Amino acid sequence: MSMIEIENLSAFYGKAQALRNVSLRVEPGETIAIVGANGAGKSTLLDSIMGLVKNTGTIRMEGQDVTGAKPGDMVRRGVGYAPERFNLFPHMTVRDNLLVGAYTAREDIDKNMDAVHRLFPRLAEREGQETSTQSGGERQMVSLGRALMTSPRILLVDEPTIGLAPKVCVEIAEVLRRLSAEMGLTVIVTEQNANFALSLASRLYVLEGGHVTAEGTAVELAKDDQLAKSYFGA
Amino acid sequence: MMQIIIQGMLLSGLYALIAMGFMLIFSIGRTLNLAYGAYIMVGGYIYFWLSQQLGMPKIVGFGGAVAVGALMGLLKHRLIVKPLKGDPVAVEISTLILAVIMQSAMVLAFGDASKILLPLIPGVVTVAGAQVTYNILAATIMSWVIILALYAFVRGTHTGRAMQAVSMDEKGAAISGVDPDRINMITWAISGGLGAAGGVFFASYTQLSPSMWVAPVIISVAIVIVGGIGSIIGTLIVAHIIGFLEITVVAVLAPELRGVFTMVLIIGVLIMRPQGLFGREEH
Repeated sequence: MSMIEIENLSAFYGKAQALRNVSLRVEPGETIAIVGANGAGKSTLLDSIMGLVKNTGTIRMEGQDVTGAKPGDMVRRGVGYAPERFNLFPHMTVRDNLLVGAYTAREDIDKNMDAVHRLFPRLAEREGQETSTQSGGERQMVSLGRALMTSPRILLVDEPTIGLAPKVCVEIAEVLRRLSAEMGLTVIVTEQNANFALSLASRLYVLEGGHVTAEGTAVELAKDDQLAKSYFGA
Repeated sequence: MMQIIIQGMLLSGLYALIAMGFMLIFSIGRTLNLAYGAYIMVGGYIYFWLSQQLGMPKIVGFGGAVAVGALMGLLKHRLIVKPLKGDPVAVEISTLILAVIMQSAMVLAFGDASKILLPLIPGVVTVAGAQVTYNILAATIMSWVIILALYAFVRGTHTGRAMQAVSMDEKGAAISGVDPDRINMITWAISGGLGAAGGVFFASYTQLSPSMWVAPVIISVAIVIVGGIGSIIGTLIVAHIIGFLEITVVAVLAPELRGVFTMVLIIGVLIMRPQGLFGREEH
């Protein structure tokens, strides 16, 4: 049974259609990547899974229909989300940001906080710092940490490397690999940087203009000359 | 001098109590709730009705006032603010209209003549030569207790942190499992209850009348603008600045100028530090 299975998902912002009949699936413990340019609909896709955007189609989680579920329901079902713009609470400390993430997982606070601090020791060192005064890389860590505080079984990560220094990108990639390998999390990551996505994901979906134009493993996608040229720098 | 210090402390405590609920809605619900004065007025009238007209114990009257204030807050959020979400001007106009409607309702129910509200705690004590009623002393103490409890609640509980989170980033709160709608409802209920509690003391400090809602709204707006969004401590400090300013002006200059310097302070802060003395710049 797939962890998440999406069929014919279309999403709208008012009258504007941002996703068109998108279908995809991710298996338990798998990491998949959604690759696409700016405006392709990557963030809308993750927002739709979280119940943040009006949509049509079907979203199933472990076989159960969760179409139209509210964000709080999705979090309780085990979906954690680290959005592209972080959406942190700028005038709260790192620790308080993480504790807000524990709103629905209060019994796991100590365990999850330890896990977050092991993954991001810097957050333990700076737990009293307001996030408005942090660097982009540190905010990304808080964002991922907050998502982990929800006790997720699947993690949605929207463009984790955008605007970050290469060294920080490597750190983030390593953490995402550990989340999958050591903690068994299922991960859906969106990226403009297809090579970064390839370093993490077993399968990729290419999103263009709101619909999926290709899917497969890296090897399969590389056979398509046009795709290879557009996304993999071939 | 001692008279000014004591009266200033007492009036400031009352102002802080009145402004706290207004600040909560302004900071978390992002709404300039001009009907806030209606909680204060209705709180006073409910206390009057239960304890003076029906003869119930004063504590029941006070509890009833707080409960009705909280219910009004909940209903206002559910029936007006939520359907008009995204249109702050419509919300502000609607809340103002609601206050006028509530004023008419109080005229219908209790008449338009002012009434003397018997103090929650009767009696007078002399402190350093100054005559102080137990009632306003109780308002000051209660205001400090409520403010400290509110501070501990907002800073130290999951719901309090969620309230802060919703005020700073609603999407961030939602993806953390917080239901912003529920948090807003809790905030509106707390605000209504605080307003009604302040109303009981304010009405006994001044008098009970259907138009008594205007002055507390002006005081609350002044305190929140000068203090800045989102600061409980800022609200407390500015309530004292304004309270002392008013008492000093009345004692040293003329009672007619009581509110003038407060208005000058608002304009000055708006020009020189629009985010308020203790507020942060919004991004």
